[in-house]
Amino acid sequence: MKDIARQSMSIKVESMDLLNGQIKMEAHASATYLAMASWCEQNGFFTSAKFFFKQAEEEREHMMKIFNFLVDTGGNPISPEVTNINHDYSSIVDVFESTLEHEVKVTKSIHNIVMKSRELGDLATEKFLDWFVLEQVEEENTIRDILDMIEVTGTEGVGLQMIDTHVANWIE
Amino acid sequence: MNVVFKSTYYTLYQSTAERRYYIDFGQKMVRISLCELLSLRHKIMSISIEDHFDSDLNSHGFEVLMLCNKEHLFILNTLEVLDLKTLIDNGFVALGLSARAGALI
Ligand SMILES: [Fe+2]
Ligand SMILES: [Fe+2]
Repeated sequence: MKDIARQSMSIKVESMDLLNGQIKMEAHASATYLAMASWCEQNGFFTSAKFFFKQAEEEREHMMKIFNFLVDTGGNPISPEVTNINHDYSSIVDVFESTLEHEVKVTKSIHNIVMKSRELGDLATEKFLDWFVLEQVEEENTIRDILDMIEVTGTEGVGLQMIDTHVANWIE
Repeated sequence: MNVVFKSTYYTLYQSTAERRYYIDFGQKMVRISLCELLSLRHKIMSISIEDHFDSDLNSHGFEVLMLCNKEHLFILNTLEVLDLKTLIDNGFVALGLSARAGALI
């Protein structure tokens, strides 16, 4: 039997499933950052809002990168359902702490797909994810730096507004 | 046409000349592209078989399945859904697109 299936699709369906899961995760991240932007706007942290609007856009770009990879490899990209977006935060510190938590979760998920694609011998998926591995180092580092800045600035008195102003340093 | 995989109720065939696949559903033979086969796989994987055992969630134990961009409609019972899962699962292994057996189960 001629291998016409392999001619139409260049990755394994298991990798495709994992990447569809990651599409969902990036979409969820994008929606979560949009909710954070909304919270920041409503609570007077306008610079932080700008930061999260930009983050939301970036996460959507990540999602599209994976989506297009599945198109290129002949897979079946699935437009994700996004549910359960949290809009409640107790403070701006809570917002950034949740962001770091979220990014660490994303990093773990990407590492998991890299390890699985390595097991499957799926070199294309593994190489494709190189960019994401490094991007996650950047993203985690940014949020850690902001949390360090928050710690130095302190939340007493005008601290909260100073925090918001300083966030501008992380908006390119 | 070559047989790719045969489950209890269904058979998946490959027609190399047409670069298409066929699924024999018993009462109907369905011509299907690889994209549509991937889409069927996704639909089958999204079915919550646990719901079939909960009369509140799926009171009659049936699934309505639309195939090939709404060209075909099937109503499957629990056993047929499980059998179709087996067909798709092993079919993808036989086609060389799945790394392991039992991936869907
Ligand atoms: Fe991301
Ligand atoms: Fe991110």
